[in-house]
Amino acid sequence: MIECMNVYKRYPTGTNALYDINVKVEQGEFIYIIGPTGSGKSTLIKLLDGEEKATKGKVKVVGIDVGTLRHSQIPIYRRNIGVVFQDFRLLPTKTVFENISYALEVINMKKKMIRIRVNEIMDIVGLSDKGDAFPAELSGGQQQRVAIARAIANRPKVLIADEPTGNLDPGKSDEIMDLLERINEAYGTTILMVTHDLTLVNKHRKRTVVLEQGHIVADLAEGGYVRHDQ
Amino acid sequence: MISRALKEGFSGVGRHWAMSISSAIAVAITLTIISLFLIFTTHLQTFTKNVESSMEIAVLVDFDYESSEEEKRIEDSIKAIEGVKKVSFSTKEQEFNYYIEQYDDEETRAVFEPFRDDNPMHDAFYVEAVSGDQIRSVAEQIHAIEGVSDVNYGGQSTIDMVAAMINIRRFGGIFVLALSVLAIFLIQNTIKLTIYARQDEIDIMRNVGATNGFIRAPFVWEGIITGVLGSILPILLTIYGYKFAYNLVHGVMFSSMFKMIAPVPYIYYVSAVLLAIGILVGLIGSWMSVTRYLRETK
Repeated sequence: MIECMNVYKRYPTGTNALYDINVKVEQGEFIYIIGPTGSGKSTLIKLLDGEEKATKGKVKVVGIDVGTLRHSQIPIYRRNIGVVFQDFRLLPTKTVFENISYALEVINMKKKMIRIRVNEIMDIVGLSDKGDAFPAELSGGQQQRVAIARAIANRPKVLIADEPTGNLDPGKSDEIMDLLERINEAYGTTILMVTHDLTLVNKHRKRTVVLEQGHIVADLAEGGYVRHDQ
Repeated sequence: MISRALKEGFSGVGRHWAMSISSAIAVAITLTIISLFLIFTTHLQTFTKNVESSMEIAVLVDFDYESSEEEKRIEDSIKAIEGVKKVSFSTKEQEFNYYIEQYDDEETRAVFEPFRDDNPMHDAFYVEAVSGDQIRSVAEQIHAIEGVSDVNYGGQSTIDMVAAMINIRRFGGIFVLALSVLAIFLIQNTIKLTIYARQDEIDIMRNVGATNGFIRAPFVWEGIITGVLGSILPILLTIYGYKFAYNLVHGVMFSSMFKMIAPVPYIYYVSAVLLAIGILVGLIGSWMSVTRYLRETK
């Protein structure tokens, strides 16, 4: 599902962000990418969702060579993946329902279908009663659930979550983790989650890739991670 | 698809109506100037045509070639020249009368009367050329025909004037083009501001898989709407202003040679051109603006 082969990333400013990254994620896997600030986690996400291109090496997601996509093709590619951000990125002027339906409108889904799908998805994330609420009226955890709903609305094969619990307290973080796990199990969605919340990583154990200064320093199939130099 | 974009385009104009109105006004001013220039250059064009069509070549027949066979031959030769539109004949008696009639007072006319029997005038052909810039070459070719004593036409100054008017017309066209480009930049700037106001939304749209065309469409409609709004006032000014001016001078300026073009359907043509420029300017301006922004967006 996700494959990085000998990936290097060097920004035009001269910063080297990633060195020789090799990761392979199978369909239906749930994987953590962890590491301290500046370790290259964000760069990796940018390579995966097409925001940046690898300087060297190949990034393949759902069989598509992301690095070769033209600017105009990237939105089409992104319909295969869902992305969740730390800061939610919801439209403040649209209701919960509209925020989710928006993602389906842009891919030209029929209005009737959109209505059915959005209601279904609000049920999955547990926000059936919040359809008419605006993002500002919701708690952080609820907002993130809207963002997840939007990301999985068109049933992507891959869900990329960039610090989805970064702005949430531990209780809410657990709720989000439960939701992501449910999505992973129920729909077989491949999930790649970037985080630096070690408590979470140790509690919900999954395959964990550790990045440090642009290098993969560990790829632990059993998960769990012992803090050593932070 | 289009209805969504159009709807959002309208709500975009409504959302920051003050800015939309101000840029529509800027477009309106530009289009008004364009309208004036359009009217000016089209009139110059008809005026030039009038001058051109009234430019005649007078061909004087040599005294030794006044037999009807020779004159028939000369006429046929003239008609055979490329660029000749019309040839008419005038006898030396007609010429003499025409000459005398130029004088109003009987006294002067009487002075010329004795010459009627010993007529110094020539038989003449009057030749119209298809266009003004051909007159000189036609005249030169006629001059070469055997039996033609002399050829007269409006002279170099008339030809120069026609050439000058053609140049002014060309300059007018360039000016209209330059003003259109200016209007494009005005709209481009407005749309740029609305884009920056909706930056987050555009970024999110791209994140969830909206194509560039999908993102672009509402902004382009917004630009077109602004362009159309901006063309309303100039069109009204053109229609009513021109009708007013036409009625004021009864369609004639300076001399009968410079007639104003009849308002209908002329003003509607000008209006259609203004609307088209407004739409085009809005389309291009907003298109450029969004495309530039999208190129920066990852």
